[in-house]
Amino acid sequence: MNRNTFYTEFLKRASLITVFLFFMGLQGKGQANDNFVIPDTLSPTNYYTQLSLGLMSPIYRDFATSPLYYRGFGLYGSSAWLKHSELKERVFKMDVGFSTTSAVFPESDFINLNGSATWVNLNLSYQRLWKLKSISNIKNNVKVGGVVVISQNVRLNNSLYNNALGLENVSNAMASAQLMRDISRTETKQLNLLIFKPILKPVKRDVRFQINVGILNFNYRPGYAYSYDSELVGTETNPFSWALSNYKWSMNGWRLNTQIEYFTYLPNGNARSLAYVWDAAHAPGKFEAFQMASHRIQYTLYFNRKKR
Amino acid sequence: MRRILLIFLILGLTSCEKVLFEPDLATSDPLKNFDYLWNEVDRKYSYFELKNIDWNQVRDTYRPMLSANSTDEELFNVLAAMLNSLRDDHTNLISSFNVSHFNVALRSPENYHDRTIEEYYIPNAWRTGSLKHDFLSNGDVGYIRYQSFALGFGESQMDLVLNRYRNTKGLIIDLRENGGGSIFNVPKLLGRFVETKTQVGYSITRNGPEHSDFGDPENFYITPSERVRYLKPVIVLIDRGSFSATTFFALATKAFPNIILMGDTTGGGGGLPNGGQLPNGWSYRFSISQLLDLSGNNYAEDGVPADIEVAFDWTDLTKDEIIEKAIDEITK
Repeated sequence: MNRNTFYTEFLKRASLITVFLFFMGLQGKGQANDNFVIPDTLSPTNYYTQLSLGLMSPIYRDFATSPLYYRGFGLYGSSAWLKHSELKERVFKMDVGFSTTSAVFPESDFINLNGSATWVNLNLSYQRLWKLKSISNIKNNVKVGGVVVISQNVRLNNSLYNNALGLENVSNAMASAQLMRDISRTETKQLNLLIFKPILKPVKRDVRFQINVGILNFNYRPGYAYSYDSELVGTETNPFSWALSNYKWSMNGWRLNTQIEYFTYLPNGNARSLAYVWDAAHAPGKFEAFQMASHRIQYTLYFNRKKR
Repeated sequence: MRRILLIFLILGLTSCEKVLFEPDLATSDPLKNFDYLWNEVDRKYSYFELKNIDWNQVRDTYRPMLSANSTDEELFNVLAAMLNSLRDDHTNLISSFNVSHFNVALRSPENYHDRTIEEYYIPNAWRTGSLKHDFLSNGDVGYIRYQSFALGFGESQMDLVLNRYRNTKGLIIDLRENGGGSIFNVPKLLGRFVETKTQVGYSITRNGPEHSDFGDPENFYITPSERVRYLKPVIVLIDRGSFSATTFFALATKAFPNIILMGDTTGGGGGLPNGGQLPNGWSYRFSISQLLDLSGNNYAEDGVPADIEVAFDWTDLTKDEIIEKAIDEITK
């Protein structure tokens, strides 16, 4: 990475993180009203239905069709079912990202190309975590465990002509570590912002940092020539099997996922959070590699379904 | 403040994919773009041996024409000339200011004149979806013009067309200047004229770095349609403008005794094209597979020959000699 690229990347990342921290601050101030108290409805074990919406910025590159990075912006949505207690956690999640991207290449002094591609990223994941009592304390809850993630990409890019449709599956069994820190405000506090002097009430809050590292990394990628004249059996030919002809599973590459999430709890036991999520994967396949990463800011509502 | 710094530190250290990925390869350097395209073709193009192309010699001829200071126009012209040495219309270079073509149809006489047919043969033709059709020779012959396999047709529309000509002695399907399109329309159309499921050819695809590396043959079957079929004599008109999916169609007809090819050899295009991009953002495509007949011959890339050769006489535009010959064959 040259120096200019490094600064550009640093500034982009700093901007995203600043937006994240800004909204964190807004959330904290949003609690400063008389109706907000530390919830007494939370049970030792809580069952949540989780709904998220977010903005994402993906980047990907498929060496089989192009040496160029594709970047863009898109929308993200997810739904999850979460069982959470101090001792363990279980999450089943489905999510989808839909982005418009374009290739990044040097500008021409003759005439520049225009064109965009569509990137749809579908994920299913199941995660289990257990508390590490030896390094946890009343403020910091450390959990470890694993997550299985199945990601399916569907890419449409007319610039690639007969390879306009790109499909790949990246599936990983990942080791997970999570630190959840209780940052609740236990006493009323008054801020001194010159003209404004808001009073902040006690509130239950957590901040969570999680990292997932791929241990078993699988990918389902096209064969050597990418597109194939596969068997054609009259009008009975199945277009789906035709499209996936000569795809092969490989076990190689890596995947890394980190996320930081800021929670506030409502008096009724529900919660909301703001998270910054980064996900990156490298899938070499058998012939040519696929690489993808995404930066995401998401807002999540946790509906407490059942208290025990 | 300490917490904020900690968050910055953690996120900064864990969210930098560029550190983990390989370097960005985007470049406008003409020589790097030349090498990228040359290598892609070298690793995946399917007809080097059939066409007896020395790809190393091609590189040695064209690469010295470029330098680091070559303009976009100069780069395009050299890359286009390099790709045209493959003599393949499934091979193109696409930039924002030009698209390269080999243009095989221009290398042989033209054998189709739309105005002649419209004015003197089917002035009141029905247009049913993408099919233009009418009776010829006092109702003895049906004529169907299908101008592109990229244009679909509904099954009900084809039922209607074939029912309309069910009492004719034979059918002419005009595929001249049909430049191809979706291969799925080939069995959809041909399945209307066959009685039994029949293997009509094979296809093989590059699967390794050597020019002779190909995967196992994939079978190409035509199956009879379960809807209205026409099993009387069918004459398919072809010429050098009949390319790609039309060449697939022409090759497949060789397996059916009730179907005759008439006109000129097709333009070829027996290889499935791929698609990709260069480091400067331009696009390309080229053939990565071969179409073979039942005996394993791969002549389809150079064109499927007509069973009966007939040429259009451009000195008399009131008559289409190829249609006339087809009518004679059906009504004799």
